[in-house]
Amino acid sequence: MGAIQIIAEIKWNNRDPVYIQVIRYFKTRIASGSLEAGQEIPSRRELAAMLKINPNTAQRAYKEMEEQGLIHTERNLPSRITTDRDVLAGVREELIQSALADFLDSIRPMDIPLEELLELVKRQYRGKGGAGHD
Amino acid sequence: MIEVMEVTKKYGRKKVLDSLSFTAEKGEITCLIGVNGTGKTTTLKAIAGLVPVSKGKILIDGEPYNKHIYEKLAFIPDAPIMLPRMKIKDVILFMRDFYPDWNALRAKDLFHFFKLNENDRIGDLSKGNMAKVNLLLGLSLDVDYVLMDEPFSGIDIFSREQIADVFASGLVENRGVLITTHEINDIEHLLDKAVLLGDGKVLRKFYTEDIRSSEGKSVVDIMREVYRQ
Repeated sequence: MGAIQIIAEIKWNNRDPVYIQVIRYFKTRIASGSLEAGQEIPSRRELAAMLKINPNTAQRAYKEMEEQGLIHTERNLPSRITTDRDVLAGVREELIQSALADFLDSIRPMDIPLEELLELVKRQYRGKGGAGHD
Repeated sequence: MIEVMEVTKKYGRKKVLDSLSFTAEKGEITCLIGVNGTGKTTTLKAIAGLVPVSKGKILIDGEPYNKHIYEKLAFIPDAPIMLPRMKIKDVILFMRDFYPDWNALRAKDLFHFFKLNENDRIGDLSKGNMAKVNLLLGLSLDVDYVLMDEPFSGIDIFSREQIADVFASGLVENRGVLITTHEINDIEHLLDKAVLLGDGKVLRKFYTEDIRSSEGKSVVDIMREVYRQ
């Protein structure tokens, strides 16, 4: 039972490598805490079927995540999320930095005074507005 | 590996295939893309040994065409291949008795996967269900390569999704799959390799993940570049 439920509502972007998008999906879930340290994850084949992707792509995503130390696999056991706290904290940091960089890149050309921007962010962050982009 | 090496096929004076070269690997999904009349079906038939080529070579796992090739590959056309009055269950029994390579377990899995009705007659099936039956027949043979002609064409979106899901499931296993299509939308993330054909020639061939990594382009982007020239 321990394996995670994957909600396969990923909208694939055809211009980014699919394996990168799979890794991003895992990282987002690690950062948000919905995937926890040491948690069991689906096999490559199960993941491919859940996300409806090519099994080779699932394989590549897992291989890359192993190399990044995000997941590990002991011989015949199911793969698990790493228990290395530093790696997990790094994922969160990385995602926040990259989202922030995207945000700043698109807002900077508008030359909004920082105070006003911070005020807007504060006001909208908890509300429904402004969330999510593509 | 299927190796198509500088294959030319002429019907009379008309070159349908013009020095065509590409490979399709085991464990990968390779897609021949092109508008109607670019030689996609002829290519599949040539690989299956159903039409002789005028020039060039086709090797399957390093061997030229011989009678054992039938044990290595299955060709699934985009038309019904069974008699219209047969029920789906009769077709499955027929295949089981006729082909030593028939994998009854996988056939059963695919039958459930597609939610087919065993008492439906071939002649009464919708295009989508016919495509599913054809796919079931082809994938239930224990062969190394499956050639599928237009498995996604002219069928409803739900059948399309189900057929696409088969490629993501374990049911294809480690076989080499070579499909043709002119509709790439919503399946491109499933493909390993794309081979773009035009007038019987290979215009471009690439691994889809590579083109996304190196150029940030989708298969459709590349098709626009290639076919608009």
